[in-house]
Amino acid sequence: MIPSLALRRKTLAARFPWFEGSLSALSASLVFFLASLIFFALLGRSPFLLFGELLSGSLGSTYGITETLVKTIPILLCALATALPARLGLLTVGASGQFYMGAWCGTAAVLLFGSSHWAAMPLMLLAAFAGGAFWGLVPGFLRAKLEVNETLVTLLLNYVASLLVDWVVYGSWRDTSNLGWPATISFPEWVKLPFLVHGSHLHSGLILALAIAVALHVVLSRSRWGLSLRILKSNRKLGEGVGFSWTGNVALVMGIGGAIAGLSGILETSCIHGRLESGIALNFGLTGFLVAWMAGQHMIRIIPLAFVMGALLSSGDALQLYAQLPEATAVVLQSILFCSVLATGGFLRRGRTP
Amino acid sequence: MTILELLLGILLSGLRSATPLLQVLLGETITERAGVVNLGVEGQMLSGACAGFAVAAASGNPWAGLLAGVLAGMLLSSVHAFLVLVAGANMFASGVAVWLLGGGLSAFFGIPYVGRRIDGFASPDFGGAAKLPLLGPILRVATPSVLIALSTWVLCSLFLYRTRAGLRLRAVGESAESASTLGISPTKVRWAAILAGGALSGLGGASLSVDLVRNWVEWMTAGRGLVAVGLVIVARWNPWYALPAALLFGVVESLTLRLQALGVTISPYLLSTLPYLVCLGVLVWGSARARSKGGMPRDLAQVFSKTE
Repeated sequence: MIPSLALRRKTLAARFPWFEGSLSALSASLVFFLASLIFFALLGRSPFLLFGELLSGSLGSTYGITETLVKTIPILLCALATALPARLGLLTVGASGQFYMGAWCGTAAVLLFGSSHWAAMPLMLLAAFAGGAFWGLVPGFLRAKLEVNETLVTLLLNYVASLLVDWVVYGSWRDTSNLGWPATISFPEWVKLPFLVHGSHLHSGLILALAIAVALHVVLSRSRWGLSLRILKSNRKLGEGVGFSWTGNVALVMGIGGAIAGLSGILETSCIHGRLESGIALNFGLTGFLVAWMAGQHMIRIIPLAFVMGALLSSGDALQLYAQLPEATAVVLQSILFCSVLATGGFLRRGRTP
Repeated sequence: MTILELLLGILLSGLRSATPLLQVLLGETITERAGVVNLGVEGQMLSGACAGFAVAAASGNPWAGLLAGVLAGMLLSSVHAFLVLVAGANMFASGVAVWLLGGGLSAFFGIPYVGRRIDGFASPDFGGAAKLPLLGPILRVATPSVLIALSTWVLCSLFLYRTRAGLRLRAVGESAESASTLGISPTKVRWAAILAGGALSGLGGASLSVDLVRNWVEWMTAGRGLVAVGLVIVARWNPWYALPAALLFGVVESLTLRLQALGVTISPYLLSTLPYLVCLGVLVWGSARARSKGGMPRDLAQVFSKTE
């Protein structure tokens, strides 16, 4: 970049902090729009018609909006679960595994204590927290104590967790009255969170997820702990020198992150499906990773992006119905979006630092 | 059946199921030796498997299928190369993006092929030799993709350690800075290394769908690409060690299938976790060894330990 231009941009960025952010968001959306235009055009479909379908499917009706919000909940939680470890510099892709373990342990609690009206729900949530946290602590422990790359460990554990769910829903937890469909018994009504819109799947987990996002943001930006994470991330030696524990903080962020993803797992199980089934995590884990990345691991910025992703996923259903495009279209669009964000983000960063 | 034959049988079926993994592992080793990590190999495998199957089904020629797999893998890996080398994106994030892209595109375009079967390579007639003890099973396992994988293994190792180009590639991975003072362009070498990794992972995917299982299912690679990225560490970035590392996974995988066939009462889903758990176990062991004994390309060490 020409020096004077670079200088001007630097002063602009200093005067308006939001300038850089909106510049990158704008250019990423532009690249995404162009790339998906090309993709649809290559398929021989009118891109504008399909974009219209996308918008009307996800936001054009009350049903569309509630479905979008329903999909937003797990994406938001999985994104928070990815973003928290990232604040310590840990790159985990393990939200879907933690999602499954939360669902697994929560379901175990329901199967054991489901008959008790007052104890079932808290025990289910506690078990889900514990399951997700454990699935986060394992890679955390391996990273902190043995320096095993946490990205790879979390990726492998995702497959293990999804197989563990298959093991029980095809095995001992399977309800034989399902006529061969691999699923547990239906959960009792009293373990489901209250629904926000009558007759829809939209449950109050949305409020819970938003509260967690805000709470994490406040704690990370205001508390001493948030500062200690930042110091440890930028310079571990310095952080340890001042007395912050690397191991302890790795365990903390991985454990809390895992518990949040575990919560999303049990919420999907109890409120959306009403029972544990195979393959319920869909692409929520990876979508969460993508959202966290696009938001720059910022807990508040994650919220609108999770909503956008939720809209994309729920419009995938609409595209399937009305445009006869396969379910995978949503994944393709998602990955095009991710590539656009990475491409423009990298270019802008390069422009900023001489 | 003698013990020797039994062991040979296990080893050979392990080799068969390790074949796609070995290709990917070698490709990722080359990429990482140049200092770039590519988690997108999973997506590249999927696109290779899908394109390979589609071309093999349409043309009836499995060789054309393997070639299509190579091209699809390279094409997708060029996205990773662009994002990392040109746009300067984070390697792990870009890898995840490429993984999603490959999975999504292959699921999208692969729909008409789900449930179809192809003939694959015709098994050659060995006549009486196929009935010999020891030699017979070896001949039966040696399908073209297995043979290609084994020759790639030798060629990759010779390339890295015995050629000028291999030396250049390793120099870039050790220190891009010093390499560029020697007049080597790190960016060019890394482009080549990523594309080579893409070609091999696409070939691995195509070997799976065209030769070994002869069908196509969405997301059929089930994490083999990601396992390969882990096993590169276990093999300490040495292509010679790639074969034993891949064999370990293959043997465990074929053993779990064998146990199921024997009617063991353990759930097949539970047994299927074993290959991942074994991979995890050796990854922990391999990481400890990599720390004490080295072997990691130095520029890569920054990628793995750098927290940004």
